[in-house]
Amino acid sequence: MILDIAHYLSILSTAIFMLTFTLVLILDRSVSHSTLLIKRSYSHAFLLFLISFLLYVYLALTDNFSVSYIAQHSNSLLPNFYKVTSIWSAHEGSMFLWIIFLSLWGFIFNLSTDRDLKVKNLSIGIISIIIVGFQLFLLITSNPFEVVLPFAPENGADINPVLQDPALAIHPPTLYLGYVGFVIPFAYALAFLINKDQSIEWEKKVKSWSVMAWVFLTIGISLGSWWAYYELGWGGYWFWDPVENVALMPWLAATAFLHSLSVASKSNVLRIWTLLLSIIVFSLSLFGAFIVRSGIIDSIHSFANDPQRGMYLLAFIAVILFVSLGLFASRLNMFESSKNIKALSKESFISLNNIFFGVLIFSTMMGITYPLIYELIYDQKISVGAPFYNAIYAPITILATMILVISIDSRWGRTIDTGRSFNMLYISLAMGLIGLSLIRYFAGDMSFIIMISFLMGLIIIFRYLILVVKNILEKKYINTPSVIAHTGLGLLILSISANSILSSEKVFNMKPNEVREFENIRIEFNDLELLNNSNHDSIKATFALDANGKSFYLSPEKRKYFARGQITSETAIKIMPMRDIYLTIGEQLEGGQWVVNVQLNYFIRFIWFSAAMMAFSGLLIISNIIRRKS
Amino acid sequence: MKLLLKIIIFIIPLIIFSFFYLYLSKDNSYPGADYKKFDLPAFELQSLYDENFISNNLLEGTYLVNVWASWCITCRVEHGFLTELSNNNINIVGLNYKDNRDDAIEWLVKYGNPYGVVIHDLKGSLALDMGVTGAPETFLVTDQRVIAHYRGEINNMIWNDVFLPVIKERGLVIDAK
Amino acid sequence: MLNKFLFLFFISFTLLAESYYDFQNDEDEKRFFNLIKEIRCPKCTSGSLASSNAPVSEDLKKIIAEMIEDNKSNEDIKSYISDRFGKETLYDTPIEPKTYALWYSPFVFLLVCLMIFFFRKKA
Repeated sequence: MILDIAHYLSILSTAIFMLTFTLVLILDRSVSHSTLLIKRSYSHAFLLFLISFLLYVYLALTDNFSVSYIAQHSNSLLPNFYKVTSIWSAHEGSMFLWIIFLSLWGFIFNLSTDRDLKVKNLSIGIISIIIVGFQLFLLITSNPFEVVLPFAPENGADINPVLQDPALAIHPPTLYLGYVGFVIPFAYALAFLINKDQSIEWEKKVKSWSVMAWVFLTIGISLGSWWAYYELGWGGYWFWDPVENVALMPWLAATAFLHSLSVASKSNVLRIWTLLLSIIVFSLSLFGAFIVRSGIIDSIHSFANDPQRGMYLLAFIAVILFVSLGLFASRLNMFESSKNIKALSKESFISLNNIFFGVLIFSTMMGITYPLIYELIYDQKISVGAPFYNAIYAPITILATMILVISIDSRWGRTIDTGRSFNMLYISLAMGLIGLSLIRYFAGDMSFIIMISFLMGLIIIFRYLILVVKNILEKKYINTPSVIAHTGLGLLILSISANSILSSEKVFNMKPNEVREFENIRIEFNDLELLNNSNHDSIKATFALDANGKSFYLSPEKRKYFARGQITSETAIKIMPMRDIYLTIGEQLEGGQWVVNVQLNYFIRFIWFSAAMMAFSGLLIISNIIRRKS
Repeated sequence: MKLLLKIIIFIIPLIIFSFFYLYLSKDNSYPGADYKKFDLPAFELQSLYDENFISNNLLEGTYLVNVWASWCITCRVEHGFLTELSNNNINIVGLNYKDNRDDAIEWLVKYGNPYGVVIHDLKGSLALDMGVTGAPETFLVTDQRVIAHYRGEINNMIWNDVFLPVIKERGLVIDAK
Repeated sequence: MLNKFLFLFFISFTLLAESYYDFQNDEDEKRFFNLIKEIRCPKCTSGSLASSNAPVSEDLKKIIAEMIEDNKSNEDIKSYISDRFGKETLYDTPIEPKTYALWYSPFVFLLVCLMIFFFRKKA
């Protein structure tokens, strides 16, 4: 009964979003009366859809296993929290959430006032038709409302134990909020193009929205990295897995886009690039959805293989991309050729920066698709992994950061004044070299590229430190969000390099009561317990450790889950200021010994902290904009 | 210049889309099938029953090698079809994978034995040498060479679509003596 | 009693081992850890041997450790595994004619973009 209502509400919502789109087409978009109608229509469509989703949550919470999806992914023994999160643990449900968020962004954007009614209404129309496309995809190929016939099972299947984790509960929603948020600048950019009025400053209007979406994306990706670190057991925080990469690409494009947004007013060339970037960012978000859901890529995240869904999504994205690119191409004449960008001005540096981002996006796309290309041509499989991505990202990042520190002293509309500004660069370089020699002293040999990365990280941080101190003393303006974000970037590069240089690991074979030592850490195998839990058995090994003058216990586990017979390894981590002590147990060997793996992961918390810094800077930008408005 | 830009803007997505379209429409009906050819690895392992040693030169002609174990649940599912094959005189060599000898023998007693020879690969060393990742898996071997490999349970459809075409193409005779 | 239970519990995925990951020196151990991160788990949809505790992954890790102790080179070890489980087990994509497009295209792309950027300004 409730299932049917929820289903009908979704269908109705699709119809009303379609109606909204039609209204935008046929009404006079410059009139406030039409605007009100369009607003109402959209709001109704959204609210219907939202109620449908909330009813679905209710169905999940009340263990309604007549719903096929809920039966496959939830279980009556799950805590309520996980009953809800199980909704987005697989394709149909997560698609449902995706579209909810998409329409939610549009809903909030819709409520905001805009004097340029024509453009605003057009953008709402574009958002509406995109939503319709996704809703049709959902209802036709991936229906979450399907019923189990003829009888509902007594209980649901147990969900993958790896998914019963708080981090994994918030990681998808945050990521989705990021992905779909870029529909706002996308739709508004297209509306701007259709409207052909150059004087409208669309870049200013979409800025807060774009930054917010970027913040969500940044946090979402970091959450994924953080989860992977403690869950997957190898101590790594980034694997260059295809699904990580398809989240990284929109993030890179969005970062370039945000930079372009602030520059767009300076030159028509840059305006054109900003428009193109808004299309690219959203397209990459959609591409990400396609890759994950089409079954085309083998990945931890790939949802059920279904080429039919893949085809639909591919066609849908193709239509969106060709229409938007066609529109873009046809309106290029809108901008008369503008004054050239002055060489070595701030605008030119940002343009150059876009090239670096472009190379990274291109390379990532290459890395993701090359195994498929190879298979199509040579009928053989290959893999592309960390070696390739590191080989590309490291030098490009180094180049880009060099340009970054030089550009700090660049000016809008004028060539950079190399005289005074380079002094501060030299100071930063000197301090960086000191830091580098310190770490060389402690860690010995390291690869050249990592050395330079480490150095660049230091230079960025020192350069911004000098900037802040100098500007405070000279009572000059400080662009706080920029300082925080870029210092965060410097910290990110520094932490990644330091983590690579300093981290170490070791494997021991130990029996209970044995003691080992590693890097001045004493490890004693205290206890081995066999535990029985409701959905799994586990072998829990407890170790007593002495490190940095502190004593503590770590208890890694080996678990066997009943429902799917899955065996997982639970890591035990001690977080210390500079490093994590990371312990896992492997198998039991013939003599009764256990394989024990100890890792020391340096500065890993700083990696996520730097991402948090960047996200925070985004929030600062938005709060500044809001404050300026009022 | 602008024209060039317009062309590039269209061509790159066009290429990407046509590529994905081609890839998606590719027939990938049996992802578990692998036709890589390699020599049967040299081995010397005990037979399951009598602890005599079997080595690869004792196995001649064309036969299947089926990787199974008593702890493998899916193996019970394919067992019926294997029995059918063996009833049709098809020679199947069993490769008992990481299994306790007694458990394995008991399993065969309980469910029936479709195998001619059964190799007891307690450590899974031969299996590893053959690229086995788990049970059940089935190999088609002829003249000391592996010519087809399927990961997963074998049934009539897979027999017809994966193994028979290879057998027919090479004009092989797969009957037991 | 506990030991027997534990033994049976894990029988389904252990290769009863004599080798104990006993490396002779630090370089060998580092080599081991680097290798298992670059070799793909043959059974998992994605992921390296390091992140997998599938039976075949555990077996491969032991073989790799043994081969390192036997002073086999990284190439030998990688060939051993890719011969049996396919080239796709190597995350370190080889640089060969068939993969030149992959490895070199980013730099070609960079060069082309930089050329356009710098020459356009002169125009």
